[in-house]
Amino acid sequence: MFIDRLISDKEGSASRNFMLSALFWSVIGMGSGLFAGLEFSMPDLVHNVPQLSMPHLRMMHVNVVAIGWLSMGYIGAMFYMIPSLTKSPLWSERLGNTAMWGWNLLMVGAFCTLLNGYTEGREYAELGAVLDVIAVVLLVLVGLNVWQTVVNRKVRKLYVSLWYFLGALFWFPLVYVIGQRTFVQLPGLNDAIVGWFYGHNILGMWFTTVGVGMMYYLLPRLANSPLYSHGLSLIGFWGIALFYAPTGTHHILQSPVPEWLKAIAIISSIFLLVPVFTVLTNFFMTMKGKWQLVVTDLPLRFAVTSAIFYYITCIQGPFQATRWINWYIHFTQWVVGHAHLALLGTFSFILTAALYYGLPRLTGRKWYSHGLIRAHYWLKTLGFTIMMLSLTTAGLVQAAGWAMGIPVDQWGLQIRPYWAIRAFSGIMILLGQVLFAYNAYRSFYTPVAEKESKLAQEVKA
Amino acid sequence: MKSNFRQGANAVIITFFAIIGSTVLLPMVIFNPSPSGHGNQYEKNKLAQTDPARGRQIYVREGCFYCHTQFTRLQDRGYGPLVQAGDYVDETPHVLGTARTGPDLTNEGGRFPSEWQKAHLINPRALKPGSIMPSFSYLSDRDMNDLVAYIQTLGNRRKVTELVEAPDEYTNKSTYGKELLARKHVDTKADASANAGRGIYTQNCAACHGLQGYGNGPNALSLEKKPANFTRPFYKQYSDEFWFYRVTEGVVGTRMPRFGEVLTEEQRWYLVAYLKTLPKEKEEVIDNVDQLNPVQQIKLPKLSHQQWEPASGGE
Ligand code: HEC
Ligand code: HEC
Repeated sequence: MFIDRLISDKEGSASRNFMLSALFWSVIGMGSGLFAGLEFSMPDLVHNVPQLSMPHLRMMHVNVVAIGWLSMGYIGAMFYMIPSLTKSPLWSERLGNTAMWGWNLLMVGAFCTLLNGYTEGREYAELGAVLDVIAVVLLVLVGLNVWQTVVNRKVRKLYVSLWYFLGALFWFPLVYVIGQRTFVQLPGLNDAIVGWFYGHNILGMWFTTVGVGMMYYLLPRLANSPLYSHGLSLIGFWGIALFYAPTGTHHILQSPVPEWLKAIAIISSIFLLVPVFTVLTNFFMTMKGKWQLVVTDLPLRFAVTSAIFYYITCIQGPFQATRWINWYIHFTQWVVGHAHLALLGTFSFILTAALYYGLPRLTGRKWYSHGLIRAHYWLKTLGFTIMMLSLTTAGLVQAAGWAMGIPVDQWGLQIRPYWAIRAFSGIMILLGQVLFAYNAYRSFYTPVAEKESKLAQEVKA
Repeated sequence: MKSNFRQGANAVIITFFAIIGSTVLLPMVIFNPSPSGHGNQYEKNKLAQTDPARGRQIYVREGCFYCHTQFTRLQDRGYGPLVQAGDYVDETPHVLGTARTGPDLTNEGGRFPSEWQKAHLINPRALKPGSIMPSFSYLSDRDMNDLVAYIQTLGNRRKVTELVEAPDEYTNKSTYGKELLARKHVDTKADASANAGRGIYTQNCAACHGLQGYGNGPNALSLEKKPANFTRPFYKQYSDEFWFYRVTEGVVGTRMPRFGEVLTEEQRWYLVAYLKTLPKEKEEVIDNVDQLNPVQQIKLPKLSHQQWEPASGGE
């Protein structure tokens, strides 16, 4: 009985629980990001508290938004979308729920260790050995669940989203195992090469592949029009599979790693434009004639915004990977802006769309308030645009400073206003996310009075 | 249909392993730089009370590498000698870093006294007003001393062999510089070139640097940072490439323009030929590396923590 409540085998419960946990961790993750951002403007905000020093908060922020919010949300969304695409229930809800608890445990572990400075000191792979092992086991469990669901499917044809999901669930555990370097000591530069293989492919083989897969699922459904082209979607898939993985070294283009490796990284970065443009052509052609829907359909609005941000990110990416732009831009806040464009602008938005779309269908309840969703959308979109612009500008100021050899102390003062603006935009983004969480709380955890539920139904989605 | 699915799955698997093989495994096999002899040496610098190797762990634990990088690039001025692949053999996990919110620390060792470094860690703003570096005053005395020992070890073995050197883009150490020098056809030792340079100098430089290069042109009066006086003895150490670099890029923070934007390469080489002929004044000057005071290696700071605690905040 107790076990049933904890590890339920009700259909859709694993998916719902994953999504709601993701929402919880998103508030923590974005909150710590905001806190770290505030410390750029007010370096003496907290004093003598190691847990709240900027580098510790930064580790916390990156890991919680990436492994907590995005990854958990992705798994929740996959657990919802895959059964619906294969027309067969999730292989094992109990296994899914077990993974959900395990993942929450992992995040609690991350929370306790990272803030105290227990880190492996590898960017994006900071989690300690025990947590690494837990993460891999959980990923394998999730992968097993999904693959079994697909193997037992009722629909023979594999829709393109499934390609992406299955690919991601095969690649990502491997990338994770290779990239964490938990039990190996590689000499410095090799460590960096493998590190950036991981750093880039957690994006390419996980966030992008699942994110794009979700877009393929959501856009045709929300816009109520068939996918423009299946051929294009497959070109996009294979393009990503081929060109994403070798690009990692473009993060250390100016360090003394072998030139041939840099050349491979740059070339495949530029080739990435091919899958990106096929994917986006597909999306935008699917939306053809349906653009007006974004006015009324809020999940669709999130999804389309995400696609537009994806477009910008993916033009920026290859541009930055070329040697001469990298010469100028590297090491600056521009890059921080780019990273947020990908993870916050693109993948958080598409995940948000998936949650707004999926949660009501999983729980059978309506969203408590559409006003809150609108507020969330605008706070996040405007907040993010402001953040992106201020970081990019700060980056250009910094770049000019480095290029001319001006000491940091001088231009450091010049970019403080941009950091203040960034902190302000962080407040908007966090506020948006809190509204989202509050909305979810009111919708799914508060018993709805008869009258209210009627009211909610009358507000048009 | 089923076989189609299998083929697809196999293709995914094979592609992925091919890529891992070429970009992860291959570099590990064929990219094994041998130690350059300039890397940081932690064991040798270990003293009874301070351990730089432990300091490195604290550097990693406290996440200094999120704001500080540890590799110098061709275009980085004022951060000391360039790094080589062999410098990093013993650096695990790597601390190359990704963002330069603060200065590069590749060659930080010996730049500041240990007392300064410790005080800076405790309260950066007391020493650098407006700095946004966090205060690390929560570190224990032992952690702090080890960390300072680590900072003072950085780049100590990367010795400078010449006194002044133009950045690599201007010398034949880089392809860029090689091309530049290959294009040069002005003989900077010839009197004829110096004569050609004199005209360019009078037109462009004399207003500030003065007709004889004493830095006493009419404009000098109104400039806060005075134009350089080229008769000072250490200018005789300048190589052609160094002169060329200084004229091309100007001096940041002063009114000295970037003449690379205005004058052709040829004109700038003529100028160099002329600048070298300016007379030399008598003055005490260091023109040998051995005349420099030796760098004081690690000395344990005796500072007490409290002395530098910022007034704001807890406790
Ligand atoms: C938030 C980013 C940030 C973090 C984290 C950070 N620093 Fe800094 N650091 C700076 C900035 C900005 C400066 C330049 C202003 C100044 O000197 O205070 C600086 C300057 C320095 C300098 C002086 C360099 C020079 O040549 O002028 C040293 C040494 C230094 N930091 C060491 C450290 C160490 C050690 C740590 C980790 C315990 C650390 N920093 C963490 C931002 C940071
Ligand atoms: C507007 C006034 C101005 C003009 C015109 C000007 N300079 Fe300068 N120059 C300066 C100032 C100011 C400095 C900086 C001195 C310092 O470093 O404090 C300087 C520095 C230099 C230096 C660097 C000296 C060093 O210490 O390495 C060189 C070389 C130089 N000037 C060459 C030239 C030449 C050649 C021209 C003409 C093509 C020229 N300058 C024109 C003002 C001027």
